Amino acid sequence: MDSAIRLRGLHKRFGETVAVDDLDLDIEPGEFFSMLGPSGSGKTTVLRMIAGFERPTSGSVALFGADVTALAPFQRPVNTVFQDYALFPHLSVLANVEYGLRVAGVARKERRARAEEALGQVRLAGYEERRPHELSGGQRQRVALARAIVLRPQALLLDEPLGALDLKLREQMQVELKELQRSLGITFVFVTHDQDEALTLSDRVAVFDAGRVVQLGTPREVYDHPRNSFIASFVGSSTLLDPDVAAALGLDRAPMAVRPERVTLDGPAGGVPGTIAEVIYTGPEHRLVVDLDGLGARITALEPNTGAARPRARGDRVTVSVERGAAAPLETEPAPA
Amino acid sequence: MQLGRVARYVLGAVTAVVIAMIYLPLGVVFLNSISASESMSWPPPGFTLEWWGRALHSEGALQALGTSVLVAIAASAIALVLGTLAAMALSRYRFYGKETVNLLIVLPIALPGIVTGIALNNAFRTIVGVQLGVWTLIVAHATFCIVTVYNNAFARLNASGTRLEEASQDLGAGLFTTFRLVTFPHLKSALLAGGLLAFALSFDEIIVTTFTAGPGVTTLPLWILQNMFRPSQAPVVAVIAVILAVLSVVPLAIAQRLTAKDAAAVSR
Repeated sequence: MDSAIRLRGLHKRFGETVAVDDLDLDIEPGEFFSMLGPSGSGKTTVLRMIAGFERPTSGSVALFGADVTALAPFQRPVNTVFQDYALFPHLSVLANVEYGLRVAGVARKERRARAEEALGQVRLAGYEERRPHELSGGQRQRVALARAIVLRPQALLLDEPLGALDLKLREQMQVELKELQRSLGITFVFVTHDQDEALTLSDRVAVFDAGRVVQLGTPREVYDHPRNSFIASFVGSSTLLDPDVAAALGLDRAPMAVRPERVTLDGPAGGVPGTIAEVIYTGPEHRLVVDLDGLGARITALEPNTGAARPRARGDRVTVSVERGAAAPLETEPAPA
Repeated sequence: MQLGRVARYVLGAVTAVVIAMIYLPLGVVFLNSISASESMSWPPPGFTLEWWGRALHSEGALQALGTSVLVAIAASAIALVLGTLAAMALSRYRFYGKETVNLLIVLPIALPGIVTGIALNNAFRTIVGVQLGVWTLIVAHATFCIVTVYNNAFARLNASGTRLEEASQDLGAGLFTTFRLVTFPHLKSALLAGGLLAFALSFDEIIVTTFTAGPGVTTLPLWILQNMFRPSQAPVVAVIAVILAVLSVVPLAIAQRLTAKDAAAVSR
């Protein structure tokens, strides 16, 4: 079966700047695929090349086996949910959702029915006659979604769609997006700089840095086995260990990254002695920064908030251990895509 | 910022004088249009509506009014089409010489009217080889009317960016459909404002008009100039001047309100 989206040798330069550097990527039908990276890492440019808003400097874009590199956005079987929604301010919610059908020449009755259905799918029935400026951010987001899915695209492109929403709403929309993707059964390509979002939603994640994919895998692979220090610190938080420190902790003598929740304090087997330098209370857990004796290094540990009568405090002496397999060996050079 | 009491009084007085300098003469024109004196003597010996009646039956004045309206509408229409196209090209596409083209489009509004007038007069008669007439006048007015339309449309297009047009294309609409359904509705009020400004500019223009109107083509400002110093016509000229002022100010006021309202709508 053909890939939903196949990128080959995709390269995009803006003047002197290389935005996307020789990218190969295959996104499968029905997959929830995230492109995760800091701003300027090229992820949005890739999305815009898939949608057709940018022409690649070289390379090709194929959708479901058909090369679309030279096609205009309106000739491609994908639709986009824009970061700022880009709703038409002069049209009602219903007219916004009907827009694509109207342009395609669908009869009034059918497009009305399909638009109603799409609005139902995003739980916005009853808002047909409102104007975009009368809606909240979350509702605009839903209109943008309805407007895109009403055309039954083979793939939906989402450009940081939740970026403008507040935390509670964002968490709620994450759940709804995932459900929507499952019920539609189409490919979602989701661009985000929020690693939580990418890990929560995706079947697979591509981590972008400086115009390249530095790691591609399931959320678990990317989180548990970051390939290099960039990924280890960008996706979740990690303590990066020098070879000497890793060796002192009983690991291989190599650069390693270890997640705070995989660091054990005062374990049964003892470990490297140290002093707590900082206690950060986050509510559900304590984040503890420990100075390791004689190594000139610090390591961060995470402990659940158990409501102990005397929580750990600065200056407490502890032993630190890291299980073999809990730390990820890092490539010293950034991994090639 | 707090001003001292003296400063406030002085600034207030200066403002009052300046405003009086601008508006009192206008008031005098209006008074002259209803003054019983034929020679605009001061103070008016009494009031009459005779001049208004005469003006409304003056064939020369009415014809001039008709010419002015025709020229202003035609020049504005040309400006609307060309100004919109130019604004689309310069705001949406990258091409060689773009900055130069931008400057060349805007320049006519800054050029002294006398220069534009002489240049067009020469060009029409010698290079193009046409008789000066109402069409040469319309084209001449269009050269500076384009600027107001272009500026309004260009500002609106730049402020809104390409996101709505991208959304439209993403939903399957081609370039023309996108313009018709998205860009144009968005531009409409800017175009109306630009068009009204263009109308007002054309309506009271006299310098370029003098050089590019053919013999027998008389616009309202030209008619006023020609009749101003004819003793029997003086009060009628005052009437026409009042009409001209109203017809110029009203579109300007509407244009300004449209622009302000839209700026508010865009920032919402």
